[in-house]
Amino acid sequence: MNNALQLKNVSKSFGEAKIIKNLNLEIKKNERHAIIGPNGAGKSTLFHLISGHYKLTSGKITLNNDEINNLEPHEINRKGLARSFQVTNIFPKMSVYENIRCGILWSMGFKYSIVRLVNGDKKLNEKTYSILEEINLKHCAHIPAGLLSYADQRALEIGITIAGGADTLMLDEPTAGMSNSETERAVNLIKQISEKRTLVVVEHDMGVVFDLADRISVLVYGEIIATDTPKKIRENKAVQEAYLGTEDH
Amino acid sequence: MDVILFTLFNGLLYGMLLFMLSSGLTLIFGMMGVLNFAHASFFMLGAYFAYQISKYIGFIPALFIAPLIIAFCGAMVEKYALRRVHKFGHVAELLFTFGLFYIIEELVQMIWGKVPVGYHVPEYMDFTLFSMSGMGYQAYAMFTLVVSIAMFIVLFSVLTKTRAGLIIQAALTHPEIVSSLGHNVPKVFMLVFGLGCALAGLAGVLAGNTLGTEPSMALSLGPIVFVVIVVGGLGSLKGALVASILIGIVQTTAISLDYSINNFIELIGFSVDIESLWRILIDLTISQIAPILPYLLLVLMLIFRPRGLFGNRDV
Amino acid sequence: MINFFKSFSTWIIIAVIAAILPLIFDSSFSLTLLSKMGVLIIFTVAYNMLLGQGGMLSFGHAIYFGLAGYASIHILNGIGEETLPYFPTVLFPFIGAIVGLFFGSLVGYVSTRRAGTAFAMISLGFCEMVTAMTLIFVIFFNGEDGIQTDRMVGPEPFGITFGPQIEIYYLILFWCLVAVALMYIITKTPFGRMSNAVRDNPERAAFIGYSVRRVRWQAFALSSMFAGAAGSLHALNYEHIGFESVSVVQSGAVLFMAFIGGAGHFLGPIVGAIGLTYLDSTLADVTEAWLLYLGLTFSGIVMFAPGGLAGLIVMHGPIARTDKKLLISLIKPYCLAISSVITGLIGLIGIIEMLYFRSLISKGEGEVVIFWTEFNANGIMSWLIFIALILVGIFLSKKTFPLAKESWDHAISVVKTEISNE
Repeated sequence: MNNALQLKNVSKSFGEAKIIKNLNLEIKKNERHAIIGPNGAGKSTLFHLISGHYKLTSGKITLNNDEINNLEPHEINRKGLARSFQVTNIFPKMSVYENIRCGILWSMGFKYSIVRLVNGDKKLNEKTYSILEEINLKHCAHIPAGLLSYADQRALEIGITIAGGADTLMLDEPTAGMSNSETERAVNLIKQISEKRTLVVVEHDMGVVFDLADRISVLVYGEIIATDTPKKIRENKAVQEAYLGTEDH
Repeated sequence: MDVILFTLFNGLLYGMLLFMLSSGLTLIFGMMGVLNFAHASFFMLGAYFAYQISKYIGFIPALFIAPLIIAFCGAMVEKYALRRVHKFGHVAELLFTFGLFYIIEELVQMIWGKVPVGYHVPEYMDFTLFSMSGMGYQAYAMFTLVVSIAMFIVLFSVLTKTRAGLIIQAALTHPEIVSSLGHNVPKVFMLVFGLGCALAGLAGVLAGNTLGTEPSMALSLGPIVFVVIVVGGLGSLKGALVASILIGIVQTTAISLDYSINNFIELIGFSVDIESLWRILIDLTISQIAPILPYLLLVLMLIFRPRGLFGNRDV
Repeated sequence: MINFFKSFSTWIIIAVIAAILPLIFDSSFSLTLLSKMGVLIIFTVAYNMLLGQGGMLSFGHAIYFGLAGYASIHILNGIGEETLPYFPTVLFPFIGAIVGLFFGSLVGYVSTRRAGTAFAMISLGFCEMVTAMTLIFVIFFNGEDGIQTDRMVGPEPFGITFGPQIEIYYLILFWCLVAVALMYIITKTPFGRMSNAVRDNPERAAFIGYSVRRVRWQAFALSSMFAGAAGSLHALNYEHIGFESVSVVQSGAVLFMAFIGGAGHFLGPIVGAIGLTYLDSTLADVTEAWLLYLGLTFSGIVMFAPGGLAGLIVMHGPIARTDKKLLISLIKPYCLAISSVITGLIGLIGIIEMLYFRSLISKGEGEVVIFWTEFNANGIMSWLIFIALILVGIFLSKKTFPLAKESWDHAISVVKTEISNE
């Protein structure tokens, strides 16, 4: 199987409310897959289910053929899945450099050590700077992350997400709240970092979606009503009715 | 049998006292997420104010006036101090109320001194109502029981029958929604905090003359109240009631049980001859470990069932 | 490399100064005070591993401090009665550390299942439990009397018996430097950084591969270990241990020291420990109201400066770095604001002192001494003066605080523009 991520009959209920209903989804390795849908369709819930934040009510999720539905978030991350958040989720009191460095620590085997010093480690330092370059934040490496502009913080968010070297990335509305130029910059960054990785993106900005995605899945009321290439999705009558038709851009 | 009845009665009494204390705290914690470390301090203030007022006007007026003053104090604390701290998070609120506890304890010592004050049961209630096999049921105890049950009924009706009460109930389980419904949340917070403190103050008025009114009251009773609300479940008054009575009875019963594991072993016909450390453990009577029981319960509950007996929100 | 030496030489300088101190302040009062400070510095910095570095509020940290003390006393007594083999006094903090680590790991494993308020309540529950146990298990803890010991046991290498206070002081100083240095180094390790990360954003920390629970548990265990080391030094210092060493009161004291000093910075707890220990020894004799002032200060800091004293200083760092003139421009508005507050405070202190005087000293007759002047607490004049001072203070503050805030906002906005221009 060439699937990075696979969801089989996944359901999630909160008490009586069925948010996700018998969902099936296959994300192919190295593809860029976008998930779109109207507000309240359950996109964030879906992300939380995959990344281990919520427990499934029923169903199965596999990552590279490993079952992950009962694992803790940190265990899932260690298996190669990293995500970003809709509301910027960085370490505001730490410098930009330290934010990225923390993201790298586990992947380089530092674990919970109290005998190694992080400041002197050359490899760690180099890796941190290379990621800072990738996300174009090298110039503000030593500024407290909380003081960055919104767009820079979003870039940092992506930086932390890729720092650990995960090969499956989930980005939750990465361009939310951005101006046109900021969006363009963000999309270029995302294209760059997802070159050799699998990317799952939740987005509202249709321009971004159609520009970025190899395939698109449409989530409506907790069910996927279509999964196909951007062109076919645009032409899909059901999708138009449920979603695209009301979308003015 | 009569001993059991007497013990149960005292347990119930203690339980109702705990309930008066914990109902206020449940309301505050459940609704605002603030764990008022100083809650027992308001209890203490209630006792002291009652002492002071009853010296001049008498006990019955004190019963009404003291809680009102406490309510006002609580509301002022919320409005001018606690409100500032909300934005720093729950831990900061907890720290602030911890500081408040400290301050109130010192203030009380400053004004009334370090020695217990002479707050006594009013003479016209200080007699034995009736006796059963030598155990006297005090009239004042009955009075306290009646007042606390009445308070429970009033609180229950207000919460379930009035509009304000329904809003408070809603806020207990879904605080975020209450503000989006257009209610003046800060004002509601202030009122609830004041009400909670008033309940604690009322408990102080009733219990101060039997338990003894002194500056260390808050520290001795405070932690037990936390146990009650956690065991009962946050945001649940029903839980607070059940947990209060449960703990009240357990505590009162345990203190009067002078049996140890050793006694039990001897009862079933064995005799143990081990020396040193284990001997100490099995010689311990239930009455001796009674002080630890509530905390043990708190820790176990928080670890295994954080939502308590009846709560539906996690801590 | 250069930085390392710079830091290392700072340590040397501090060590040397601390070593000379008892030669300058050689009264027995000073020696006792310095020794007490040394022990509390270790305890407070250890506590801050949990509070400031890890973001966990515990009301029960004295458990590890006190239990380590009890263990040390028992062992010391055992050595003295020759029921236990000799163990060098200098190494006793290891005993304390092991005891602290043991209990900290147990309690921590269970407590770190929850966070925030629940964690705080669990810690309170454990603290009350242990305190109650010290009064129940009289065999181990000797109830309210506590346990005495004699630290002059065993052989005397180089004639050092640890009898005299000065010898204990140097022992405490040594361990203080070692412990604080170790705890400082730990902040620079992967664990230390992740502990900060978990404090700032546990959700994010999990998503970079770290078990939040494990990080917290480790912080708890290490923090308890160092607290235990402090505990055994405490026992050695006083040759006595009692139930108050495990109580909520002791836990609250270390909380005050860490928080007022400034939990967000490594030096904060040290400042807090030194400052509050000093004030506690000196002010407690000058005024009955010392604890009340302490409580008011603590609450004030929670409300207005949750970063503590260290936080207040550090927050001006970016301003100083951007432009020293900006910092200087703040001096005038700050001075005005501070003087208004001080005016009001003088009034408040006066009232409080007079109230204490009237209540505690049998409805005080005669005069009370406040600020080295005599006031008649029974006459109306003194009361009026202080109330007037309070009112003037409030009035002035209302005028000067907005000015100070304006200057601050201005300075910060300059800093922010500098950053975005980089």
